[in-house]
Amino acid sequence: MHIPDGFLNTGVSVATGIVAAGAVGYGLRKAREELDEKSVPLMAMVTSFIFAAQMLNFPVAGGTSGHFLGGALAALLLGPWLGCLVMALVLLVQCLGFADGGLTALGANILNMGIIGTVLVYYIFRFLQRALPSGRGSYLISAAAAAWLSVVMASGACAVELGISGTTPMGVALPAMLAIHAIIGIGEAIITVAVLSLVMAVRPDLVRTYRPQGAENLA
Amino acid sequence: MEHAFLDKYSGIDSPIHRLDPRAKVLGTVFLVVICVTTPPTLWKAFAAFFALEITFIVLARLPWRHVLKRWMIVLPFIAAVALVVPFLSKGGGSYNLGPLHLHGRGLLTLWNVAAKSSVSVLAVVLLSSTTPFPDLLKALRKLRAPSLLINLLSFAYRYIFVLVDEAQRMLRARDSRGWNGRWLWQSRVIGNMIASLFLRSYERGERVYAAMMARGYDGEVRLIYELAFGVEEIAFLCLTVLVPLAARILANV
Repeated sequence: MHIPDGFLNTGVSVATGIVAAGAVGYGLRKAREELDEKSVPLMAMVTSFIFAAQMLNFPVAGGTSGHFLGGALAALLLGPWLGCLVMALVLLVQCLGFADGGLTALGANILNMGIIGTVLVYYIFRFLQRALPSGRGSYLISAAAAAWLSVVMASGACAVELGISGTTPMGVALPAMLAIHAIIGIGEAIITVAVLSLVMAVRPDLVRTYRPQGAENLA
Repeated sequence: MEHAFLDKYSGIDSPIHRLDPRAKVLGTVFLVVICVTTPPTLWKAFAAFFALEITFIVLARLPWRHVLKRWMIVLPFIAAVALVVPFLSKGGGSYNLGPLHLHGRGLLTLWNVAAKSSVSVLAVVLLSSTTPFPDLLKALRKLRAPSLLINLLSFAYRYIFVLVDEAQRMLRARDSRGWNGRWLWQSRVIGNMIASLFLRSYERGERVYAAMMARGYDGEVRLIYELAFGVEEIAFLCLTVLVPLAARILANV
């Protein structure tokens, strides 16, 4: 899903670049406010964790595989804006260190995976959680829905950007991307729930969006 | 343990490796921007971009295997376009390939993305394979990137090797126990692996943080900049700026 250079037209590149720069700037400000500069090592560790976790493939069907994306997990562990910052950092390392995702498509990739797949999904998650009765079960159900949506919406946004750029016909690419990622998203949901329930059992203090005993959930 | 995946070739000694990283960052960005904004019909311009990059790759003595391996990262995207667009994007004349009809406009779109993504990937591979990542970050810092961003990236660079190593160890442990997951519902195993990876890395992060605090870390990273912008850098920038520009203008004539 990492769009390379040359697949987007100038308008889409510039527009998504501005949105992404704004979001990363806001994420950096939030990080300074919420964490103070000294917790840099911890945030960097989470960034490297998402990077390493993305290298673990999960099986989809009969030998094909998808890989973990981690946007929803980052948002649920850290809150929306720190999650966004972490995803943007992962994309930056992938772009600069591995040429995975283009320089001029960096904005679009951050928009898809770091803003839509992380920040937006977080607010959908909060909405779901309010609609459902509070408790561990409904927390995990909302998390599963958020993880599925993060993959599906990020892929949808990717197809829309390619469509607007005139690279691929929207009528073919959008349904195809959504259909493939609706399946991959199930893997993302299973993994996100597995990670959250294990972390909640061992170190509940590390899941910043989960407060047991029905307390108000904090961002 | 195979984890020399980043900075594998950035320690070679060559004229390109010795350049100030700021020149390489600026040159790369410039080349990519020029390339993606060039209309696809200016064939000669693209030939010039490739020629310039091949010259630099030869000068930098990078192994072709490595360059091609990194280039392959764009193949799935090009393949996705190749499978659909030439058949559906009508106009610009059509060509018959056995029972298949290819359309000129679609083929042009395919050439457009294939050429531009290849030139850009080669440019970034050149940058990342000739510049150690810490030097790249120093250059970005000198070019006014926010210091918090650079600090985060430079710490992440230190941890990535450790955590990828950890992840590979877990994979080996899993596989040596005979796991052969083939279906989606078996993904839970991966979830549990990722959860322990998270716990191990977060707790390692806490320990590192405590150790750094104990040694007087105050949130400021002090670096020694040994960057120098000299004749070579100016020559390199001229090449990466003027050659693509000239190629683009001349190709139009």
